[in-house]
Order: sequence, then C-alpha cells, then structure tokens
Amino acid sequence: MITLGLLEKNTFLEAVNKKSGANVLECYQCGKCVSTCPVSSYMDFPPREIMQMIKLGLKEESYMANSMWFCLTCSACSGRCPREIDIPAVMEAIRHLAIEENYRSENKKVKDIRKFHDIFLDMIKRYGRNYELRMMAEFNIRTRNLFKDMHLAPKALLKGKIPIGHESTKSAKAIQRMFKLAGKLEKEKR
Amino acid sequence: MNKLTYFPGCSAHGTSEEFDHTLKLVMKTLDVQMEEIPDWNCCGATSAHVMTENLALALPMRNLVLAEKLENKTMGIACASCYSRMKGTKKHLDENPEQAKRINSTVIDEGEYQGTVEIKSMLQYCFEEIGLETIKSKVTKSLSGLKVACYYGCLLTRPKDVTQFDSPEYPMSMDLLMEALGAKAMEFDFKTECCGASFSISNTEVVESLTGKILEVAKESGAHLIVVACPLCQSNLDMRQPDIEKHSGKKLDIPVMYFTQLMALAFGYPEKELRLPKHIVPVEAALKHIGDPVPEPEKVKKTKKAVEAESEVE
Repeated sequence: MITLGLLEKNTFLEAVNKKSGANVLECYQCGKCVSTCPVSSYMDFPPREIMQMIKLGLKEESYMANSMWFCLTCSACSGRCPREIDIPAVMEAIRHLAIEENYRSENKKVKDIRKFHDIFLDMIKRYGRNYELRMMAEFNIRTRNLFKDMHLAPKALLKGKIPIGHESTKSAKAIQRMFKLAGKLEKEKR
Repeated sequence: MNKLTYFPGCSAHGTSEEFDHTLKLVMKTLDVQMEEIPDWNCCGATSAHVMTENLALALPMRNLVLAEKLENKTMGIACASCYSRMKGTKKHLDENPEQAKRINSTVIDEGEYQGTVEIKSMLQYCFEEIGLETIKSKVTKSLSGLKVACYYGCLLTRPKDVTQFDSPEYPMSMDLLMEALGAKAMEFDFKTECCGASFSISNTEVVESLTGKILEVAKESGAHLIVVACPLCQSNLDMRQPDIEKHSGKKLDIPVMYFTQLMALAFGYPEKELRLPKHIVPVEAALKHIGDPVPEPEKVKKTKKAVEAESEVE
C-alpha cells in the first residue's frame, strides 16, 4: 500500500531512519548509488529505488526485496552520494527489521546468502573462531549442493591453501555467554 | 623497539597463513615487537553485522577489551575485514556510550570497555608509523624491474569516516610502499572495486564476475602481479582465477601476492619463506622479472592540441 506522507504517518520510514541513523528523506534520486554499486544489477530494486520505496512507506515490498541481502557493505555508494547518506546503514536497517519481523524471502539466492551467514555465526559460536573448511563443507550440505567447488578442493588442500585443522578460543564459555546475552538484548529492544 | 598489539584474524591462522608469516618476518626486520591479543575471538566479519546488531558489536568489543589490558595502545590488524569491523565498532561504541554499556554487559567477565586502543591496518601501520624512508633503508634486494598492480579493495579505505586513511577513490599508500621496495606500481583503475567478499561461497557467480573484471584490468595495466593487503581479496582473486579463465575463455594468469610477501623478499628473506607453493596461480615466473632492465622514463610527448593550447595562453 502506498501511503502519502501527508495523510498517514510513515512509520516504516521512521523505523529505518532511527535504526540506520540516516535520513532517507534527503535522497533526491540522482542514482549515483546505482551506477557505483558493484552488485546493483543483481538487485531486484537497486539502492535508489529502495530509498524511494522507504519514502513511500512500502514496507513489505522492501522487506521482500533481495537488495539488502546483496549489499556487500563496500561503502562505494555512500562515499559518492552527494547527500552523504549512509546507504549501507539503510540497507542494514531494513535487513535487520525484516529479520526481526520474520519476513523470509523464498528467493533461492537470498536463502543461500542467509544460510551462509547462519553457518558462519555457528562456527564462531562453536569455536570462537571461523573454521573455513568446515564452513564450506556445511554450506554445501545445507544447500544440498555437495559438489560445489569440489574441483578446487584437491589443489587447495594439497597446496595447504585451505588448512584441514582449525583453532578455537580457550574461553568457549565466554563466547557462548556472549551469544546468549547478545541474543537477549536483541529481543529486549523489540 | 616499537611495540604493537596484533590482531591476526581467523584467516591469518588459516587460508592466509603466508600473510601472517611474512608480516611477522617483516616486523622483525623493522624492529617492531608484535604481541598477539591473548585468546582473541572472531570479529564476526561479514556475517555478524548482516544478521544481528548486538552480536556484531559484542564480538569485536571482547577483543577491544582484551587489547586494552595490554600495555601498548596501538593495535595492528592484518585482515581488512577485521579492520573494518573492529574500527567501525570502536567508532560506534565511542559515539553511543549508552549502547556501549549495554553491549559491555555481554562480555563483562573480560572487563570494562574504555576505548583506549587505536586501531590501524597493517598497511596503514607501515605507511604512517614506520614510514617509507625506514622501509627503504631495510631493502637489501631491490624489486626493480617488477611491475605491480596494487589492489586495495573496499574496506582498507572505506568508509572514509571510519578508516581515516588514504583516499577512498584512488589510494596510493601501497603503491608508494611498493615503489620504496624498488618495484613499479602501475596505474590501475580498479584498485578499490569490490571483489565480492564472502559471496565467494554463497554467490560464486557474482564473485567471478566482479573479480574477473578486476583481474582483466590489472592484466591490461601491464603488471606482472597483483599486490593485496586483505586475505579475502587474495583468495577471491587467486583461487577463483582458474574458473574465471575457464568461463570467460580469456587467459589471465596473473599471480596475487600480499604486500608483506614482497616486503620480506626485498628485505632479503629467501623465497622459501614466502610460502609460494600455497598460491593457486604460480608466482615464480612473475618474480623472475626482478632485475629486468628498467627503461628510462619516457619524456611525455606533447600532443598537437596541448602545444596549440599552450601557444594560445602565451
């Protein structure tokens, strides 16, 4: 539903501005972010359009977009934005809001990206540090794509590019506690 | 002797072990004593900030708190991604003391956060703290004849208000560092383009497309090899290169080295210390260019237009 600012309060815009610390209303739609963004061609709504969607209060459409999942936080856009809007922070805000409000895109790419991040965090929770080889293996298992990158494995393993072993932090308990408490904080603010 | 608190990051003890190893050699020559943060944890890198706000701050905060307990207050970070997360977190915590207190409660067993540590990337540390003159004075084997393309990626210089280092559009610190070692840094327009980072696993075709362009432009610059300062850039540019060649049909064959590997070489360490067998794209042939005769710099020929313009001014 399109809300016309004047008639109805745009609570979505307010939530995004608050979370990101940016002011999306300052965007004057020049499109420099789109031409700068290395992945805008993969987004269903490139950054400029997302900015306008937020201004129009198109909450669900924004949450279901793949854009914020494709954003690499490379900050090329914000560096060139003539209004100096922190666009990656805006992308991050709608991503976090979508997670908090339980919006899940069925897009295969978005699902894969989310799975990757879940596995990465799982590695930290388990070992305190990333275990690169296991992360790759788990990704293949969880995305049911067992042979992905397998052709690279012999060379990468033989050459020692990807070590087979891994390290852990000694304070496993402290890490797990941090995960628990940070999770609690995440719920509290909702 | 200078002291430096060191945060290696997970990949320095994994896929980028050659970065960690040569960095330690180089720092030894430069008389810098590195002290690794005891029992550090992963900074959360690409993933924590994507999924959660609080954990993304808590993970780096624990490292910052542990680092504050050490005597030295300058921290050097090897990985560009860790650098960005740690420095970005510090900035955020310092600007939002209320939230800092809340996040601190998740790691309070380690101590109270003070915000007393200054964070630098290892490239920044070499450039700002050690200085090119000192680096030049340690060179025993000039890299003259070697042409390099310096690739910085996104996070070493962006966002500007976090990194406070070099230009976000066309940085020169690594180029100048390479020239101090005797190498020639080529003009390279893609030096701050994104390599696709963690999409290497979850979205490989994006990385192949982005990395492919970077490799192609580096090749066109005339460089013998690419120099990087980030483990993720290195593994994307190096490990994905054979697939990119296969899919595009273009021969690239351009090796990707860490700036510390080249520093170690110039400081006189033997080649075996560089851990060259770890590279997927072989490096040895490119290094043979060291010692190539360097042509006198060509005098810039004035174009007809420039001559006309000048005479008009006169």
